[in-house]
Amino acid sequence: MARILVADDSETILLLMRTRLELAGHEVATAADGQEVIELVSGADSSGPEVLLLDAMMPRKSGIDALRELRDAGVDTPALIVSAHQNSTDADAPTDLEIAGYLTKPIDFDLLLREIDALTRVA
Amino acid sequence: MAVIGVGRFISQRQDYENGVERSYQIEMAARVRIAEGRGGIADRKVVTKQTQKRQELQDRISDDTRDTALLVAAGLIAGLTGALLLFSGLISSMRRPLEELVDASGRLAGGDLKARVEVGGLSETAALGKAFNEMAEQLEHEASQREVLDRMKDEFVLTASHELRSPLTSVQGFAELLMLERDNLTQRQVETVGVILDNSRHLVRLLNDLLDLARSDAGRLVIRPQPTEVAPLIEDSVRLMRAQTDASDQTLTMSLDPDLPAVEAEADRIRQVLVNLLTNAHEYSPEGASIAVMARMDGAEVEIAVSDNGPGIPPDQLEHIFERFVRGEAGLTQRVGGTGLGLPISKSLVELHGGRLEVDSTVGVGSTFSFRLPVAAVPAAAPAEQRSARQKAEAS
Repeated sequence: MARILVADDSETILLLMRTRLELAGHEVATAADGQEVIELVSGADSSGPEVLLLDAMMPRKSGIDALRELRDAGVDTPALIVSAHQNSTDADAPTDLEIAGYLTKPIDFDLLLREIDALTRVA
Repeated sequence: MAVIGVGRFISQRQDYENGVERSYQIEMAARVRIAEGRGGIADRKVVTKQTQKRQELQDRISDDTRDTALLVAAGLIAGLTGALLLFSGLISSMRRPLEELVDASGRLAGGDLKARVEVGGLSETAALGKAFNEMAEQLEHEASQREVLDRMKDEFVLTASHELRSPLTSVQGFAELLMLERDNLTQRQVETVGVILDNSRHLVRLLNDLLDLARSDAGRLVIRPQPTEVAPLIEDSVRLMRAQTDASDQTLTMSLDPDLPAVEAEADRIRQVLVNLLTNAHEYSPEGASIAVMARMDGAEVEIAVSDNGPGIPPDQLEHIFERFVRGEAGLTQRVGGTGLGLPISKSLVELHGGRLEVDSTVGVGSTFSFRLPVAAVPAAAPAEQRSARQKAEAS
């Protein structure tokens, strides 16, 4: 069981993610864009999210931009990037953000749950 | 000089012709006298003599005609030589601009749309140079417009793919959610959700394939080949297909040469090709058919082949199977889940690896699709290293 912050600009997708992740026993918080992610993570204490699941493309602030700001602020929470593109090689994928992995839409939830387990077991 | 000469000859010829005329008149007068019975021996002599004289004159005229022709020819040659001497200066002043034009045309034809000439020299060559530059300008403009259009098309496909993917993610995700709760659903509801799932997965495949093709058209379908073990690739692909072939009672076997060397390939892309070929073999072959994947060493290459003993492809269809949205008859009559894009994409992917996707098919016997990959210069990294290398490549 892990605390996961999911960011996506689609409410439907947030509902889907929350339902699937909660069904697997995780605790889920949601954000509609990168700005909200920064607010939620920066204001959090030790019970903040253990895994970030960020959509690469969001209005206002993308998942990548939000992650960059968080990393600059010293936040090292493991992050998974969700991209709509088939190949993560297409996504504008920076090397310096310690991205733990990439997922593409439609999301393979079995894979996602395995990745979350792997990330939280190490942590 | 030549003109004067010719003039002299012409006036002499006139004299000869007048002589002939006179000779006729004299002879005619004599003949009239003879006909009237007034003529004597002298008149008969006149007739004979004038006939001879005219013959001589005629000969001289034809000699003169020949001489005149020779003279005219000589004059012309002399004139032309003079003209050539005169123009040789002109020609040499045209030569450099012309050579430059020839050179620039060559570069333009070779794709250098920036090729231009320096406009100058005689007004004719300057006009030619100006026209050439205008043409090159137009070509360059059109090419840049085409590039803009191509970019817009790529952008459109990427955006469309992105926009369609979000709702599809929801459709597929919630259908999966329902399937997780299948115990609470009636049989009919489970079947209904199954149809939704099948179709959303099909749409996702179509989207992925369209995106690949658009990238391929734009020359942006890039691969990152690295030393890759063949056996795990084939085993992965076979494992992915096993459930489907089992459901159709088809046998799916592997026959791999022992100690296959690593090949220079991008694993994900070759797996994609293998799954495409296996999916075709599965979907176009009847229940109970046999499907086999083979890999063997062949010189500096590894040959990989997917065979089936399905219906085979008629010769008239064989030449079209690599075209987009072309599907075999079975694809139209049976419930085949392909997109009609699998083979064109597989062909592009194999070609990006420097190989060629080949097909050998006999109606009633079956089909074999095969391709070759170059053996890697260095052995493949250990799986863990390979994974991190791939992630690094993806991240860069």
